[in-house]
Amino acid sequence: MTETAITRAVEKVGEESFSRRVTRDTLRNTGAKIGIAWVATVAVLAVFAPFIANSHPYLMRVEGMWSSPLLAHLSWADVTMLVTFLAVVAAWRLRRRFGPGQLLVGVGVISLVTLLAAQQLVQVPRAVIYDQYRVGLAEGGIETAYFAPVPFSPTDRSRDNPAPLHEPDSVHWFGTDEDGADVLSRMIHACRIALGIGLVATGIALALGIVYGGIMGFFSGWLDIAMMRFLEIFESIPSLFLLLTIVAFFGRNIYLIMVVIGLTSWPGYARFLRAEFLKLRNQDYVQAAEACGLPLASILFRHMLPNGVAPLLVAASFGIASAILAEATLSFLGLGLIDEPSWGAMLNQAVGPTGTFALWLATYPGLAIFFTVFAYNLIGEALRDAIDPHLEQRP
Amino acid sequence: MVNYVIRRLLLIFPTLLGITILVFAVMAAAPGGVGASLLSRSGDLRPEERAAMERYINERYGLDKPMPMQYLRWLNNVSPIGFRKDENNEDAGFGFKVPDLGMSFAKNRPVTQLVAQALPITLLLNALSVPLVFILSIVMGVYTARFRGQALDVGIGTANLALWSIPTIWMGVLLIGLLASEEYARIFPTSGLESLRADRWTFLPVVTEQGWQRGYLLDVVWHLVLPIVCLTYTGFAVLTKLTRSAVLENLQADYARTARAKGASERTVLWYHVFRNSLLPLLTVAASILPGMLVGSVIVESIFSIDGMGRLVVEAVQLRDREVVLSITLITSLLTLLSYLIVDICYAAADPRVSFE
Repeated sequence: MTETAITRAVEKVGEESFSRRVTRDTLRNTGAKIGIAWVATVAVLAVFAPFIANSHPYLMRVEGMWSSPLLAHLSWADVTMLVTFLAVVAAWRLRRRFGPGQLLVGVGVISLVTLLAAQQLVQVPRAVIYDQYRVGLAEGGIETAYFAPVPFSPTDRSRDNPAPLHEPDSVHWFGTDEDGADVLSRMIHACRIALGIGLVATGIALALGIVYGGIMGFFSGWLDIAMMRFLEIFESIPSLFLLLTIVAFFGRNIYLIMVVIGLTSWPGYARFLRAEFLKLRNQDYVQAAEACGLPLASILFRHMLPNGVAPLLVAASFGIASAILAEATLSFLGLGLIDEPSWGAMLNQAVGPTGTFALWLATYPGLAIFFTVFAYNLIGEALRDAIDPHLEQRP
Repeated sequence: MVNYVIRRLLLIFPTLLGITILVFAVMAAAPGGVGASLLSRSGDLRPEERAAMERYINERYGLDKPMPMQYLRWLNNVSPIGFRKDENNEDAGFGFKVPDLGMSFAKNRPVTQLVAQALPITLLLNALSVPLVFILSIVMGVYTARFRGQALDVGIGTANLALWSIPTIWMGVLLIGLLASEEYARIFPTSGLESLRADRWTFLPVVTEQGWQRGYLLDVVWHLVLPIVCLTYTGFAVLTKLTRSAVLENLQADYARTARAKGASERTVLWYHVFRNSLLPLLTVAASILPGMLVGSVIVESIFSIDGMGRLVVEAVQLRDREVVLSITLITSLLTLLSYLIVDICYAAADPRVSFE
């Protein structure tokens, strides 16, 4: 190779930023592609759940008047998720025109404003009678109705045609659960909890871990020792016990479960960042930043964090997987949400108290948990390989 | 070394204090408190009856005292050194005493009794599954290293990764449903650790006039198969991979080359020289395996209705049984911390390069 070719190659590598190279290497990995595809599918199902599985028809005609019960029954959460999804798509289209920080703030502001507005403005009719559509269609009260692909709401217990624990057939593709609700519909709506738990809980844990670990690693000395003792206390708590206790004592609330999973899983991230910061602490650019008199937050988060965040991202994608598992386990043990659909709770119904076994209730929700956890693990593995090329070359 | 052990032992106390304070605070801060569940179980009451009941419960369990006092009272009860009480419930000075874990609110039995029943079962499950995981993983690890890149290596690696990704709750449900249900196969029992009349049987299998009887030992083993499978299968992936990479690294080490140069067969090099040195990294993981097993037994005990610590804690939190929750937190944390310490000591003992001075 000539000298100019080498220089060109070096320049080419030098031009590419670390984060861009990691993204490229991760996306090239087959496992990561499969994982991202699955997570994206779950995300789309979660956002559009009311449009995919709903007992309310899209459009119906009663006495010559057209109306849309589906739109009328959207809750504030549905509206917020839809708007946030559109904002994310818009941000992706505009990614070349604005910086990532600006886009993140933009999406955050839009979804927050929608959340507050929707909570005030969107009101769901209190009494929901799912039977009315089936009865209306049969008796001729409703002239025409267009239904969603899965024409059952997750809480539609089919009281007009009770079929608890019914095997999969052409009406209920994935069968029904012990209350007679459609399993496929419940599974589609449960995507929301799985995704939400993973992202919010890990987000909380990451934020706590970054602040705590950053301070520990930056200051070291006695502060490090003292904070390490506190961290060890947190690490030695059997987190499932604490989770069980809090949920049992404070009531079953999805937001509480998210916060508690986040609060019990931060020590790992803090340890990773501490180790990174202890290494970075003596680098010239950190000393220079300090000598310039930059404020602490700027040194920690603007200068040091981008260089030490890589192992955290790997840990975070495994963390999302374990948060999803924790919620599933909690629901499985009967301490999850009460009326909301959850994969873990459905799995629990598969084995009845009298020893009966509903294979469809074990297979489909189980597969959903398995694929989602596996997808995040695959993404994590790919990220790790991309960040640390040495690992790949080892025998 | 002795210094190090003493320092670590002393550090256990503040950690335990922190854990119990945290769990206590969580329960104390809960709306309704601990007494509410006791009240709600006594059904509809008239206001004055309700007030009397509340007073009785508060007095009985000391719930009318301020929270810090309640915690200190509990702490004094469970610690082996503290303020003693004689039979008439009067102060008998400060000194050594028998730790008292208190009474279960919901079951009205001493917690010590409940734990004494449940702990051996959980320990039995773990005592069987931990060595099983290690032995199988080590064997798989050595062979995958020896046949690196061949079908055996790839096959075991893929199978372990797949097993590792299956959630325990799903595996448990599938095992029960497919191997222990009316609909499919009824090969294994669904719940418990022994059959209904097993305690009347002989210990070993016997052949009597009525026919063959499997005896107590076989019965328990039969009941243990599915729970043990559930507890172990996730552990293989990490340990096998760790053993494999350690063996591979050691096979290329200088001392292995020297052994080969002396004329030792590849078999001797692997099993006599390399094998022992490859076990070291496993010790470090042992510490993180144990707490995971304790959590795993919560799930497994719930699925297979085994009355161990895991089931006890799930029941206790649902009934808001404060003394039971606190005691189990204390015991499991203590066991976890001690196992960390033992693993660290073993590590230093096994590898002369490691020193804690």
